[in-house]
Amino acid sequence: MTLETEVQSLRQVPMFREVDPARLKLLAFTSERVHFADGQRFFDRGDAADAAYLILEGEAAVTLDGPQGPIRLALLGANALVGEMGILADQPRSATVTAVTPTTALRIDRRVFLELLSQFPQIAIAVMRELAHRLEMTNQQLAQMRTG
Amino acid sequence: MSGGAGAAERTGGGVAGEAPTVGRASRAGGNPTGQERTGQERIGHEPAGRELATAKTGNRPEGGNDPEAADSSGGLDRSLFRYIWRHSKRDQILICAVVLASLPLYFASLDLPRRIVNEAIQGHAFEKGNETAKFLILRLQVPDWFGGERLLFPGFDVDRFELLFGLSSMFLLLVLINGAFKYWINVAKGALGERMLRRLRYQLFSLIMRFSPDALRHTKASEVATIIRDEVEPIGGFIGDAYILPAFLGTQAATAMTFILLQNVWLGLLAAGVVGVQFVVIPRLRRELLRLGRQRQLASRRLAGRVGEVVDGIAAVHSNGAEAWERAEIGHRLGSLFDLRLRIYRRKFMVKFLNNLLAQMTPFLFYCIGGYFALKGQLSIGQLVAVIAAYRDLPPPLKELIDWDQQRLDVQVKYEQVLQQFLPERLLGLDAPGRDESLCGRLAVEGVGVQEPHGPVLTNVSLALPLPSVIGIVSDGGPAASTFARVLARRATPTSGRVTLEDHDLAEWSGAALTRRIAYAGVDPILFPGSLRENIVYGLNRRPPETAETDAKVLAEARRTGNPVEPFPADWTDYAQAGVTDAAALDALVLDWLTRIGMGEEVYRFGLLGQVDPERHADLAARLIEARTAFRERLAAEGHAHLVEPFDPARYNRQATVAENLLFGVPTTTALTGRALAEHPVVRLVLDRTGLADDLVTMGERIAATMLEIFRGLPSGHPLFEQFSFLSADELPEYEAILARRTATEASAERHGTSAFERLRRRWIGLGRYGSADATRLIALPLAYIEPRHRLGLIDDAFRERVVEARGQLRAALDEAGMGGVDFYVPDKVCAAAPLRDNLLFGRINQSVADAVETVTATGTALVQEMQLAPAITRVGLDHQVGPEGRFLSSTQRAVVSLVRALIRRPDLLVLDGALSPLGEARARTVLGLLLERFGRENSLVVVLPNDRVADRFELVLRASGTAIQGPERPRGQAASPGEAGPGAGVAGPAAAVSGHAGGETGPEPARVEQDVKA
Repeated sequence: MTLETEVQSLRQVPMFREVDPARLKLLAFTSERVHFADGQRFFDRGDAADAAYLILEGEAAVTLDGPQGPIRLALLGANALVGEMGILADQPRSATVTAVTPTTALRIDRRVFLELLSQFPQIAIAVMRELAHRLEMTNQQLAQMRTG
Repeated sequence: MSGGAGAAERTGGGVAGEAPTVGRASRAGGNPTGQERTGQERIGHEPAGRELATAKTGNRPEGGNDPEAADSSGGLDRSLFRYIWRHSKRDQILICAVVLASLPLYFASLDLPRRIVNEAIQGHAFEKGNETAKFLILRLQVPDWFGGERLLFPGFDVDRFELLFGLSSMFLLLVLINGAFKYWINVAKGALGERMLRRLRYQLFSLIMRFSPDALRHTKASEVATIIRDEVEPIGGFIGDAYILPAFLGTQAATAMTFILLQNVWLGLLAAGVVGVQFVVIPRLRRELLRLGRQRQLASRRLAGRVGEVVDGIAAVHSNGAEAWERAEIGHRLGSLFDLRLRIYRRKFMVKFLNNLLAQMTPFLFYCIGGYFALKGQLSIGQLVAVIAAYRDLPPPLKELIDWDQQRLDVQVKYEQVLQQFLPERLLGLDAPGRDESLCGRLAVEGVGVQEPHGPVLTNVSLALPLPSVIGIVSDGGPAASTFARVLARRATPTSGRVTLEDHDLAEWSGAALTRRIAYAGVDPILFPGSLRENIVYGLNRRPPETAETDAKVLAEARRTGNPVEPFPADWTDYAQAGVTDAAALDALVLDWLTRIGMGEEVYRFGLLGQVDPERHADLAARLIEARTAFRERLAAEGHAHLVEPFDPARYNRQATVAENLLFGVPTTTALTGRALAEHPVVRLVLDRTGLADDLVTMGERIAATMLEIFRGLPSGHPLFEQFSFLSADELPEYEAILARRTATEASAERHGTSAFERLRRRWIGLGRYGSADATRLIALPLAYIEPRHRLGLIDDAFRERVVEARGQLRAALDEAGMGGVDFYVPDKVCAAAPLRDNLLFGRINQSVADAVETVTATGTALVQEMQLAPAITRVGLDHQVGPEGRFLSSTQRAVVSLVRALIRRPDLLVLDGALSPLGEARARTVLGLLLERFGRENSLVVVLPNDRVADRFELVLRASGTAIQGPERPRGQAASPGEAGPGAGVAGPAAAVSGHAGGETGPEPARVEQDVKA
């Protein structure tokens, strides 16, 4: 698995779909590839948000601690991006992410990511577009709940 | 050691306070109770040696052996010539004598060619039909009244050929002898100059040590450095010639002059007149030159000072964006320097022109006037020719004399300029031997005032303090508290009033004794480049080692030049003052203090990054190998074996760079470090032989192409470049060009083949420029490549095998070349060039496993704890380099170093003037608690406090207000009155329990010493 495959993975992420391949390569090159064993934590709820992770292989669960043990919110598979909201908002982690199979992920460092955003407007616009999109989805969901 | 005490006794109490210590030492020595006593005995003896050392330095405070250096001006005469004569008359006279002795032989060698031609070749010696002639007739010329000429040796009978060869051999012999003379004279002159230079530089340096605070305020470090380094240099060059050259040339010129005078008085007077003009007029013209020279010297010295200032304050320059201003300032200075230089040149060459003119005028006058006399019949033609011939011999020595004179003036100016910086009024008085008693008793401050240039800081302070005690001075925000503390620490001199201890003025104490008994730690710790340990024990470097194993020649040379004769480098540490017996105990003591003050963890970390010298830390080195295996086993047992890839001579380490895999060791020279490896001839040879060079070029090409692709568009200087790129921003175009050349060359080669003719053709059309230099640049790139980290997919198993193969070859080739430069990884040996941590791990952590570093570190820490390696590792941490002015340390660490430096000396009085503030409030409070526990029994502590939050923890509190100091008052919860206080009486609280023997005894207290060592 080389940089090229990582770039392919990045391209699957909606946020980065429009971004120039050379920039994605830079993003991949400045990121680290890390392996997590089955059950190893990506991060815990409340940790400082220092990186986002792009899952390349394997699966990871997003959980919250409930009174009767952890509640699984979502299961993330290949090409899923996790933790990006935390690094953009500079807030502590809102949930815990744990590998449920041996998992390989691309760790995108917060500082480097912000550096790239400020350097390349194209990436910044892509991120904004994705965030606006999500906001609109949320609005729609909210409207549905009100009407429903 | 007993020798030290004995010697002290023999010196017979030259220093006050010596006697009781010696007495105690001998009592301890006479005590037969064995083992337990020896510790005390040593400690008892050491101070005696120390006192002796003080007595010695008291007598000659410059540390040198030159009594003249001790006079008020530090042994520098007003006149350079007097200075030279004073210190080198013996050598000057000796060299002069040798020069004179060489003259007859020199003249003989000039005369011999005539004899060879006349007597041997033309045969004048055989004129009267003689078959043979006498050779080597030795005659002794004595005055007639003593019997006239006396024949010593009648000579050999020789024929013409024998005479020719004989005379020629003699000529050769004389040439050799003259050469030998010349050689000796040059070496002697050179040595003389260098010796004087050494003496001068050393004296100047000694004088800097004596600069008064006021002089120091006006002194720029870089300017003084320039004086000692550059400005005295030409003086040294001149000293060898100072007396000899004028003596030699003067005689020569005088001889020629006398000869002319003897031939014809008028012509002689004429020549003398011209020479006189040269000697009178030209120096006058040169006076202006001297003035300019003086200005130039000052200007260039100021330039050096200014550059030094800018470099020291470069951070401020950058943060204020004043680069352009500074550049303009320096540019202006350079402009005026240029202007000065130009004026000097104009003047100098004008003088030279005049000089030449006068020299050329004389022959004209000779021909003209001499010819007139000759025509008139008052002078024979022969005489005229002889005079002109003699005059031809006059200019060269005269010219040299004038040059010498020029140099003399120049050097004299330089010397005077240097002297200006070292005027006696800028210097402190010499340290005279005086009292040396423990600072216990009633310390009285009587009407002390301190006047600063901007106004009074302290006025009429009178108070009494019982020592030992712990005293806080609460500042009111003004400078008074700090100044008063500095007066107590003898860092500031009161402008009025005096400080007495038990009715003896502190001025009666010898300076050396006071500096030993008082320690001061201020706001700005002063650190020197060197290790942490060197900086901490700096205050103990006071005892020159007694075993002088120094070379007798070196010693004699030092004596001749008034330099110090104490051995250096050597261990100067005064262990006794710290209360320990050897270096290991001292280290333990230092580490104990550092740990207590809260820097132990940091020093431990320094230790992990430090290097283990297998010779100095033999024990630790052996245990590291043991720990290495244990580490591996432990990781395996915890199921973490995959987190570390060990160094294995037979395997490629995937987590290490290509260069590391190739060298399989740590480079110790820059020629094998980083990209330089690609240029190393031996490395290249091996790379070419194993075919790796081609692989690396291809890899370099791919890396360069990728970097060009992904980093294009980032502004240069962007942090991402530095952090991630294989290329720096300004290298991008260069590598782009290399790639273009390579592509073009390859394309052409594909099309037209690779024959020699084609290569030539390509070069002709400008294509073939891709060559070995480009290849080297490309090879340099993949050296830092790690596949799992950079993920460019460049390395396969075949490449790894080849690298491992090349590794062996490279080692063999480097060994064969005998250049060294690599400390190879050997599984059962410590790699001295690698950090301790790497030696423990002996492998690389697999960075691509999440949290690998944390997990491995935790295992390592547990192992270190289990094997109890931490103390040894922390000791290695003491070797940590602090950098220039301690810049490699944080300000907190610097403050701790400065504090421990003061504590380790166990001073009678420790003055902390803002030394705790860099520690932060909480930590400062802890440290203060620690100090309060230790001080107050035999040693006093004075702390300047920013406010009275912690004032109640002190026995006595003084308060500054304006220019006055009020107190002492006794804070709540402290008993007894401070007024009438015998020594040790003011001690309160827990300290009282041990204060029994604190009284008038001098020297360190054995009980306390042991307590410290154990701690």
